[in-house]
Amino acid sequence: METANKTSTVAACAQVFRLALRRQFFSRQTIVTAVLLGLTLGITALWAYPMPWNPDPRTSAQLASRILSPLYMGFLLPIICLSYASSAISGERSEQTLVYLLTTNIPRPLVYLAMYAAVLLLTLAVTLGGLAVLCLVPGKIGLEALGVFWTVTTCATVAYVGLFLLFSAGVRRATFLSLAYALMIETLTVNIPGVVNRITVSFYAKSWLYETGKPLDLAPTGAALGLFNPVSAASAQWVLVLASVGFLALGMWLFSRKEYD
Amino acid sequence: MNTETTTTIALAEVRNVSKWFGPVMALNGVSLDIGSGITGLVGPNGAGKTTLLRLLTGQIKPSLGEIDVCGHDAWSAKAKDHIGLCPFGDATWDELSGRQLMRVTAGLRGFTRAEARKRAEAVLETVGMDDRANRPVRTYSKGMRQRIKLGQALIHDPDLLVLDEPLNGVDPVGCEELNDLFRSLAAQGKAVLVSSHILHEMDQLADRILFICQGKLLASGSLAEIRDMLDDHPLKVRISCGSPRRIAPQLLTLESVKSVSIEPPSELLLEVQNPGRFYAEFGEFAAGNDAQVHRLKATDTSTEAVFDYLMERALHPE
Repeated sequence: METANKTSTVAACAQVFRLALRRQFFSRQTIVTAVLLGLTLGITALWAYPMPWNPDPRTSAQLASRILSPLYMGFLLPIICLSYASSAISGERSEQTLVYLLTTNIPRPLVYLAMYAAVLLLTLAVTLGGLAVLCLVPGKIGLEALGVFWTVTTCATVAYVGLFLLFSAGVRRATFLSLAYALMIETLTVNIPGVVNRITVSFYAKSWLYETGKPLDLAPTGAALGLFNPVSAASAQWVLVLASVGFLALGMWLFSRKEYD
Repeated sequence: MNTETTTTIALAEVRNVSKWFGPVMALNGVSLDIGSGITGLVGPNGAGKTTLLRLLTGQIKPSLGEIDVCGHDAWSAKAKDHIGLCPFGDATWDELSGRQLMRVTAGLRGFTRAEARKRAEAVLETVGMDDRANRPVRTYSKGMRQRIKLGQALIHDPDLLVLDEPLNGVDPVGCEELNDLFRSLAAQGKAVLVSSHILHEMDQLADRILFICQGKLLASGSLAEIRDMLDDHPLKVRISCGSPRRIAPQLLTLESVKSVSIEPPSELLLEVQNPGRFYAEFGEFAAGNDAQVHRLKATDTSTEAVFDYLMERALHPE
């Protein structure tokens, strides 16, 4: 066997990326995600079809306020993100295959970065693809909602993936932690009046939606708006971007230092 | 105890390394060098073998001390260029075929696709898996998994090969093939560190042995070197001679002989206290007493016997 090692760190990272993408795509997470998306699609299709007791045609505002905002942004999006991101590293760890990544000659932060890129690409494909299908099912009314939601979905996905991959790097059973976080913090805390809701990703996603989604009447009115106390869309965008960068940097730092058993 | 006499350049250097996990001290002030050739790492469960292997392969960092591999800190990516690891567990990316796994592993080392393919084929042939490489790894037997994991460790032609129980589950013919492979790698100047709990494997395989127990390195060196150091360790010697009943009482007069038993028809089993002195005394005795010795063989110089003795000494110093 030839002994000269002509290797490239970029090629090695690309292999980590391809491996992580393949393993995440052909996984239980994809089945769970497909089932959840299928259920949501079914609900949306039923809602969009005019019924005898509700024969009025549906509007973009109704689609946004009854389906996309509560069901998709509030529940499905974090679940899809956590199912892929939280299992990426902790899954390799529990299957005892992480050792093969940790003993390569790739610097650990780059291993993390390559896995992040793979998970992010897959998750964005699923979340944006899922959003597009959900918006197209009811017909033309969905196009206006899609125009409002896709940017927020993209930024929220990036932030969620960063956060849940950080959990994955930190703890063995990251899926449970992520699920608890998604249900307790993102779902419940975001509705608590005051400033405590500002620790959640969904607060900034909602704040952004309320401002850019004015034609869809997404923002609550009166006292409800005062209790929620949203920040401006620009502030929300900045926070989501900074949080995403922060989660990624923290994850790379943690992964590069942690001793995995 | 260190009986090191080899002059090979150390590929891995462990200097005063201690490692603890919470209150548990897994390694305690271990220093050793690993040079080219086959080094056996021997110790009971919980001795610290796996911790030492994980430290050497940069999976964990020492709490105290330093570990260098080919001049680089073992934790660094540069050190890992020189290390190939065959871990203890069976786990690998089971959904891939053996051939895909080799290519992916080569890719993870940064080789181009063409080079990865070339290396994958070469390694599959080396580990004897080229004819079964298109099957998914999940269908492999334990022995086949050991071979494919060994292939993963060899794919980048490392200088230091760290093998955690590599013969576990491999059939006897396969064991011999793999041992030949280890020897050929050692002959190429590579350092092969083999951890095993099957001690007699080490008798034939390892050039040097590292005995580890309770997180401490009890001894290192060749088996013979270690054995020679154990002057006070009783050694059993079997003698085949013409008239065992006649010379048995005479042998008891030698200071180094503790006991003699006759094993008909023509053998004596001696327990001697100090092997070095015994061989000198016995030479004189045989020459002067017409002992008609046909054969003399020490019966418990195996790794296992030495290890048992070292363990006994470590656990009960007096």
